[in-house]
Amino acid sequence: MAVLELNQVTKSFGEGHKKVEAMKETEFKAEKGELIAVIGPSGSGKSTFLTVAGGLQTPTSGEVIINNQNITKLAEKKRSNIRLQEIGFILQSSNLVPFLTVDNQMRLLDKVKKGNMTKEELEQLYNDLGIYDLKQKYPSDLSGGERQRVAIAKSLYSNPSILLADEPTASLDSDRAYEVMELLQTETKNKNTTTIVVTHDTRLIDYCDKVFKMTDGVLALQ
Amino acid sequence: MFLAWNEIKKNKLRFVLITGVLMLVSYLVFFLSGLANGLESLNREAVDKWDATGIVLTEESDKSMPQSSMTIEDADAIDANEIAVIGQLNAVATSAENKANVAIFGIEEDSFIMPEVTEGESFSNENEVIASDTLLEEGFKLGDELELSSTDEVLKIVGFTESARFNAAPVLYGDLSTFQRVKFGEAAGENENQINAAVIRTDDLSKVTIDDNFELIETETFIENLPGYTEQSLTLTFMIYFLFVISSVIVAIFLYVLTVQKISMFGVMKAQGISNRYLANSVVAQTFILAAIGVVVGFGLTLLTGAFLPAAVPVAFDLVTMMIYGLVLIAVAIVGAVFSVWTIVKIDPLKAIGG
Ligand SMILES: Nc1ncnc2c1ncn2[C@@H]1O[C@H](COP(=O)(O)OP(=O)(O)OP(=O)(O)O)[C@@H](O)[C@H]1O
Ligand SMILES: [Mg+2]
Repeated sequence: MAVLELNQVTKSFGEGHKKVEAMKETEFKAEKGELIAVIGPSGSGKSTFLTVAGGLQTPTSGEVIINNQNITKLAEKKRSNIRLQEIGFILQSSNLVPFLTVDNQMRLLDKVKKGNMTKEELEQLYNDLGIYDLKQKYPSDLSGGERQRVAIAKSLYSNPSILLADEPTASLDSDRAYEVMELLQTETKNKNTTTIVVTHDTRLIDYCDKVFKMTDGVLALQ
Repeated sequence: MFLAWNEIKKNKLRFVLITGVLMLVSYLVFFLSGLANGLESLNREAVDKWDATGIVLTEESDKSMPQSSMTIEDADAIDANEIAVIGQLNAVATSAENKANVAIFGIEEDSFIMPEVTEGESFSNENEVIASDTLLEEGFKLGDELELSSTDEVLKIVGFTESARFNAAPVLYGDLSTFQRVKFGEAAGENENQINAAVIRTDDLSKVTIDDNFELIETETFIENLPGYTEQSLTLTFMIYFLFVISSVIVAIFLYVLTVQKISMFGVMKAQGISNRYLANSVVAQTFILAAIGVVVGFGLTLLTGAFLPAAVPVAFDLVTMMIYGLVLIAVAIVGAVFSVWTIVKIDPLKAIGG
C-alpha cells in the first residue's frame, strides 16, 4: 500500500508567455520502508515536487494522496495538521525558529503534537548528528552545516511517517554527508517510514532503494 | 506562552522598548485619572461628607447655592426624613501672612451635615469655626484669627475637620448666626432666618414635596452643576479615553511591524504544520505579558510620583479606578494584537520562507 501517491500531478507558475511548467504530468508512488533519491539539474523542479508532495503547495492539476487521504482539496487548516502529524520537512532554505535554542526547537514540537521521540532517542539522535554540545545554542550562533544537522534532527524528532528532505547534506563535508545518509537509512528501515531525499551528490544514491531523475519537470525512475 | 516567552527572552531590547511605551501610556492614564479624581474631590468632598440624598434650592438659582436664598421656615415646610439648613458665602480669609479663598458654611450644630472634628473642638461661641484641614497645610493653625475680605467680623479657628473642600475652596463651618453676621453685618438681626439651601437625607427623594418656587435636585446633580466641575472632569475623561485608543493603535503598529519582520519565521513554523491558532495565541499571550508588565510598572511609578508630589497638586489616586483602567489598557493592547493575528493567518508558508 502506497504511503504517498501522486496522480497526474502538474504544477505551473505564472500566466501566458511567462508560464513555467515546473512539474509536467507526474505519476509517483512511495511505499513504507523506502528510501528514495531524487536527482536532477538545478531548476528542474525537484523542490517543487517535494513541496507539492508534502502539501506545502497545491498542484495545478492532479491529486496528492497521503496515507489514503486525498489532500489536494483539503482546507489549509487540515493540510497543516497532516504536515504536523505525518510529514517531516527539511527545506532548502531556513528551517529553524531564530529565537529558540536547539533544544527548544524540539520542545516546540512537544507543545503542539504527541508521539515525538523519547528523551533517550533524542540524545542518541543528537550524538549521531554530532550536535549534542550545541543544545543550548541559538541558530544564529551555528555554522551552516550545524544548522542543517539541527534541521535534520528536528524533522526526525517528530517521528514522521514521511520525511521529505531537500538537499539535507548540501553544506556538510562528505564524511558527515555519508553519516547523515546512513542515519536516514536506519531510521527509515527501523521505523518503517518513507524518506525522499533530493540531492545533487550522486555518491549518496548508493544508500537509496530507488532513484528518480527530474529533468525539465519530468520525473523518471532510473 | 512557550513561544511568547522564549522570544521575549531572546530579543530583550525590542520588547523592553514596547513595554516602555506601554508603561509610559499607562503612567499617563493613571496620572490623569488621579488628577481627575483629585480635581473632583477638590470640588465635592465637603458635599460627599454630608452623605445627603438631595438639596433644595430656589427655582431661580439655577442650581447654584450662592444664588439661592430662602428662610428657615421655607426649609421647615419641606416634608423629608432629615433636613439640614445651610447658609453659604465665599470670602478671602487672612491671618498674618496666610491668605486663602474659603467657603463659609453656616449650619445648625445638631444637623446631620455637622462635620466631625478631627482636631481641636467644635464651635460654641460667636464667630468660632471649624476649618478644613487643608488650611493646616497652608500654614493656618488652631486659634488663628481670620480677617475676612467682605466684613469687619473676625472668625476664630477652634477646630479642624477632614475632607472639607467645596468648589476648590476650603470650608469654614460655623453657626448660622456666625454666617449671618458675616453676610449681613449690621443687618444680621433682621436676617436671622435667611439661609441659602436645605440639605435633605431621605429614603425616597421622589416622595419629598416642596413648594413651587423651589427645586429639589439630587446631590450628584448639584455637584455636576458646581462651576467648572463637569467641564473639568469631562476634559480629563476624554483625554483618558483618547489614551486608550492611542495605546491600542501604538501596540497595533508595533506588533504589526514585528510580525512583518518575523514572517519567514512564522513561515517555518507553518510549514512544519503548527496551526494558526497556536501562533495567534502566542502573539496574544506575548501582548498580554508586555502590557501587563507595562501597566504594573506604570502603576508603581504613578504611586511613587504621587508620594513625592507637592500638596498643591490635586492628585488623589483611587485604586479601584486605576485597576479598572489598567485592565482596560491591557484589553486594548490585545485588541491591537488582533491586527497581527490576521497577518499571520494570511502567511503562505512556502512564499514566506522563499523555499
Ligand atoms: N514560486 C515560484 N514562482 C515562479 N516560478 C517558480 C516558483 N517556484 C519555482 N519556480 C520555477 O520552477 C522551476 C523549478 O524550480 P525548483 O525550485 O523546483 O527547482 P529545483 O530542481 O529545486 O532547483 P535547485 O536544484 O536549484 O534547488 C524553476 O524554473 C523555478 O524558477
Ligand atoms: Mg530546489
